[in-house]
Amino acid sequence: MAPRDYLAEKDKAKRFLQDFYRDDELGKKQFPYRDQLVALAQREQVALYVDLDHVAEDEPELAEAACENARRYARLFADAVHELLPDYKERELTHKDVLDVYLEHRLMLEQRGRDAGETHGPQNHYPPELLRRFELYFKAPSSAKPRVIRDVKADSIGKLVTVRGIVTRVAEVKPMMVVATYSCDQCGAETYQPIQAPTFMPLIMCPSRECQTNRSGGRLYLQSRGSKFIKYQELKMQEHSDQVPVGHLPRSISVAVQGENTRLVQPGDHISVTGIFLPLLRSGFRQIAQGLLSETYLEAHHIAKMNKSEEDEVAPAELSEDELRQITEEDFYEKLAASIAPEIYGHEDVKKALLLLLVGGVERSPRGMKIRGNINICLMGDPGVAKSQLLSYIDRLAPRSQYTTGRGSSGVGLTAAVLRDPVSGELALEGGALVLADRGVCCIDEFDKMLESDRTALHEAMEQQSISVAKAGVQATLNARCAVLAAANPAYGRYDTRRSLQHNLALPPALLSRFDLLWLLQDRPHRDNDLRLAQHITYVHQHSRQPPCTYQPLDMKLMRRYISMCKRRQPAVPEALADYITAAYVEMRKEAWASPDATFTSARTLLAILRLATALARLRLVDVVEKEDVNEAMRLMEMSKDSLLGDRGQQAKPQRPADAIFATVRELAGAGRTVRYAEAETRCVSRGFTPAQFQAALDEYEELNVWQVNAARTRITFI
Amino acid sequence: MPCVADWLNSPLRLVQGLFAQSGPNPEWEKKVTEYFREKLKENNATNWVPSLNDVPLHYLKPNSLVKFRCMVQDMFDPEFYMGVYETVDTNTRTRVLHFGKYRDVAECGPHQEIDLNSSQTVTSERQTFYCVPVPGESAWVKEAYISASQARVSPSTSYTPSRHKRSYEEDEDMELHPSKQKEQHTGSVGDIHGCGEPKRLETEASAGHHLTSPNCSPPLDLNFPLPGEKGPACLVKVYESWDSFKVNDILEVYGILSVDPVLSIVNNEERENSSSLFDPMECMDTAEEQRVHSPPASLVPRIHVILAQKLQHINPLLPACLKEEESKSFVSSFMSELSPVRAELLGFLTHALLGDSLAAEYLILHLISTVYARRDVLPLGKFTVNLSGCPRNSIFTEHIYRIIQQLVPASYRLQMTIENMNHSRFIPHKDYTANRLVSGVLQLASNTSLVIDETSLEQGQLDTTGVHNVTALGNLITWQKVDYDFSYHQMEFPCNINVLITSEGRSFLPSDCQVHLQPQIIPPNMEEYMNSLLTAVLPSVLNKFRIYLSLLRLLDYSISDEVTKAVEEDFVEMRKNDPESITADDLHRTLLIARFLSLSAGQTTLSRERWLRAKQLEALRKARLQQQKCVNGNEL
Repeated sequence: MAPRDYLAEKDKAKRFLQDFYRDDELGKKQFPYRDQLVALAQREQVALYVDLDHVAEDEPELAEAACENARRYARLFADAVHELLPDYKERELTHKDVLDVYLEHRLMLEQRGRDAGETHGPQNHYPPELLRRFELYFKAPSSAKPRVIRDVKADSIGKLVTVRGIVTRVAEVKPMMVVATYSCDQCGAETYQPIQAPTFMPLIMCPSRECQTNRSGGRLYLQSRGSKFIKYQELKMQEHSDQVPVGHLPRSISVAVQGENTRLVQPGDHISVTGIFLPLLRSGFRQIAQGLLSETYLEAHHIAKMNKSEEDEVAPAELSEDELRQITEEDFYEKLAASIAPEIYGHEDVKKALLLLLVGGVERSPRGMKIRGNINICLMGDPGVAKSQLLSYIDRLAPRSQYTTGRGSSGVGLTAAVLRDPVSGELALEGGALVLADRGVCCIDEFDKMLESDRTALHEAMEQQSISVAKAGVQATLNARCAVLAAANPAYGRYDTRRSLQHNLALPPALLSRFDLLWLLQDRPHRDNDLRLAQHITYVHQHSRQPPCTYQPLDMKLMRRYISMCKRRQPAVPEALADYITAAYVEMRKEAWASPDATFTSARTLLAILRLATALARLRLVDVVEKEDVNEAMRLMEMSKDSLLGDRGQQAKPQRPADAIFATVRELAGAGRTVRYAEAETRCVSRGFTPAQFQAALDEYEELNVWQVNAARTRITFI
Repeated sequence: MPCVADWLNSPLRLVQGLFAQSGPNPEWEKKVTEYFREKLKENNATNWVPSLNDVPLHYLKPNSLVKFRCMVQDMFDPEFYMGVYETVDTNTRTRVLHFGKYRDVAECGPHQEIDLNSSQTVTSERQTFYCVPVPGESAWVKEAYISASQARVSPSTSYTPSRHKRSYEEDEDMELHPSKQKEQHTGSVGDIHGCGEPKRLETEASAGHHLTSPNCSPPLDLNFPLPGEKGPACLVKVYESWDSFKVNDILEVYGILSVDPVLSIVNNEERENSSSLFDPMECMDTAEEQRVHSPPASLVPRIHVILAQKLQHINPLLPACLKEEESKSFVSSFMSELSPVRAELLGFLTHALLGDSLAAEYLILHLISTVYARRDVLPLGKFTVNLSGCPRNSIFTEHIYRIIQQLVPASYRLQMTIENMNHSRFIPHKDYTANRLVSGVLQLASNTSLVIDETSLEQGQLDTTGVHNVTALGNLITWQKVDYDFSYHQMEFPCNINVLITSEGRSFLPSDCQVHLQPQIIPPNMEEYMNSLLTAVLPSVLNKFRIYLSLLRLLDYSISDEVTKAVEEDFVEMRKNDPESITADDLHRTLLIARFLSLSAGQTTLSRERWLRAKQLEALRKARLQQQKCVNGNEL
């Protein structure tokens, strides 16, 4: 390949900077770079970012070359800008700093000197770097994909690359010398030395003609005022955890940041850096010793901060048609639900509820009042029904989540703690799990094992979605807009069917009512279910993998993206549906009154239905809630209640008449010890038992020595 | 044997030869690995290579071929080096091509300088691993490796055992490194006198420390996962297929030892200069990072890897790779005499567990358990046993550990004391100032036995570290993973560690199955009893136990469809009768027990009888727990 004509390339760059234009809305031509050149000339702007996308529109070859040989082309563009700048100067400048005054002085001197017809040695020339007061950076073309640090290899040396990662170390900003200026102690002439390497050998002898002809041996002294420094900072960045193959450690890369790009990032920031991958050359003895090695670094051109790796990755790439089609098939609701924890068998309705928890309802704040949109769910159940596994799956699936166990966390650990900062010695707030899970999911396992006092810390967070702290002189309200997913064991380890619901739950109603859905996962023997469970487990042991499913569970990443897409919708409840919902709610209240096992049907229940319905609408990616959504929401509510009550219904049936009669008599006796025989008999008959049954029960319990009937058969006495 | 000495002592000369033959053609790299692979394949040639594990560093000749059995503790960033470079003679202007592979320092004569702008220069990439000896490696493993290599070095000589180490070195020196003797004497006279001691590694380590003190003020932390570990840490430079190696993998590497003192001089000078004015640009790394990434070569030698392989196990009594033809015959011959070995082992462990044969049975199952697959998050094949009912504050647990140590290749005993929990670091974390992964107790290689002793636990308060440590232990047991702390995020590293918990009551850590110990005999003097137990076992029998336990882990296993059907039916039936007592977890566990039972008898498929036997064992175990519950009232 013939060597490139860099002069021609520079002209191309010049042409581009002057002529590149965009049509704005009005159809007028906009010259973004020309405008910036004016700003540069006026010293109102320091950094000029050349977007290689723009360059590619005019000169595709130039853009490509710039990517391949970025350092050289950065210099070419800078030269071009330097030559163009005087044309864009619109008014005289006021001096901003010392260097400005200094430079003007020297330029004036030079003018005068030129009159005298003096020739300058090359080193007495003003190097362009000294006069240049702008910085030029490239912005990588959008076609270039951001790379993973481990993919930046030796072949990318000298090229423009974009990498993403997390900042792990930020050094302080230091001045770096770009041009060293010396003055001679004999003749007073100034000598300049542009510096490109990290180290330089200072000049000692004055090279000016005067000194050389006189052999006066003038010594040079470095003038820090006349030298040019730029800001310089070193960063170290490390790969994101999701870019690391399993079992490997994340890699890191050094980044050198100059000028306007400094002080942009903090340790822990997620950033994307465009820069030139360069080897670091050593000199002197170290070079021989290190010899074969060369260290590398990235010379940063453009640094963009990202909020979180996930979000940024999702935003630009909307779900493709194909993926959307894959999701929005006919039974997409079932399919999505089944894709949650596919390794756990059954529990379809629970999974649906969890799916809605991930999507969340719409948050409303009419007139300052806050109505949360997050759905709180509590899973209760016997040990070994995969509660924890459901939790840990949700923890992994949710883009933002915290996982704690009740035993391991105190109220402070969940909400917020005031800590003394070890460095500054000042008090600082440290957010707990709920705060850290803001806009996400907080999974709390072993909820029942938590101390009562710690659990109360949750009350505010679960309804008001905020946490107020007033401790040690720090008063603050922290956002905790998270959905709470709790898992708890029933009070006695297992669900005891002989006891009432409240006894089994062992959680205060104030807390229970804050959960939109309560699920009781019970472990009941059931032939078909057991067989399927057994098949599932043996299959796994036999083949060490999942049994084949009727449908392929969706990929976790795809789910995540779909959910975040759903979350952007804000569906509303139409007027027409409001009446329907009110009616349904009134009906539910009535039912709740009628049934003795009143689980808490309150205004919160209504809100829960609305939340579930809006979440369902979000899931369908529509903006209006439909009747179907409300029905499904109510069905889920119903199912969750069923899971709590269903078992008790079953229990009532096998109760023997004798036991029922005993209970009736016991009830009749109240606190007393004796009951009149006739009274007891009438009460039992009125409850639908035959006198024969009553007799039998009487005898049976008498035999058990529970009560005694006197000889005249008029009195029953409890023992 | 000049040929052997050649490729062992000066492998670089050999590489140079191959390089010169093919010139700038990159073919030579392949030829080099081919050549060494062939050489090492020859009858027991691997035993000729001195191992860094058992030969002190200062006895080894620089730039000679060595081997190292190690675990990858940390991975540094890749290095770019000049694969091929050119030197120019300052006087004659003649240009010579050199290779930079397998070297740290450029080969450069007094009148030569490297031409950095030569068009011949090839830049390549290599990966550096920080490797430590396998953590918790049992003494018998080390000894077996040492004796194996010694036997081959001079098969004709006979030694008295007490002299064997000393003479081994001498012989080796005579035969392999004749040039080294002078160096040895000038090097450290004291060490030579001291090497009559049984623990060679100790002398090495002390020598290492002795060397450190004048050079750098705080002694260098070699970053071993377990406290009290000894042995050389090593920077292993890998030239090919480094992506296949992961953290915590056990490797056996063959490579060229590089201990050039220049490496440490660079380092020292760096530190002196760090305060001077124009240094900051010189090097992007902080002083700490420099210290960690290029420690003095005398302490942390470099190995330039020619051949590296992942080890399935570190048991020296087993052939390294079970897939090969020869090893198949070994396996089949051992399998034929399996049942007596099992019976003997059961008897031995029953005695060790004070006559409790059920607990011994479970202990065998535990010792051959290994995570054979992962189903999404759930590891299959982990079998954590909680041995409850151990006498409190007694030396019993300590002796149990000693016996396990005698049986498995790698193990560690973790004392669960409040102080231990609060003050030691279990989880490895990334130190960003030094840019390295600081190791923790839970950074262990696959199939390491971790014995957690809960009997020494007293009342007290756990602080934050303590809580984190306990959580980490719990995660390790339930999910077989450790979340390494990268300060801005955590990363999950799957592991495969056999955890045995000894406790008085039920352990507060989760476990797969709790076995309550029922001692049949109470020896009046525990110490004596246990010691006599160990001495009574013949070394050959002990070796059989070791082979047994390591080998069974590596066997394949399957369940036929018929048995599967029967198991399913069985489960449904059991559920019908007593739903409280059997859950999905029980089925998982019973299937696991059946698996290990079958394997322990050398059967690779599940049979009906084994399934019943597994159920029977479980029933026995549960009955014991029930009984215990009754005795203790609210215990459990």
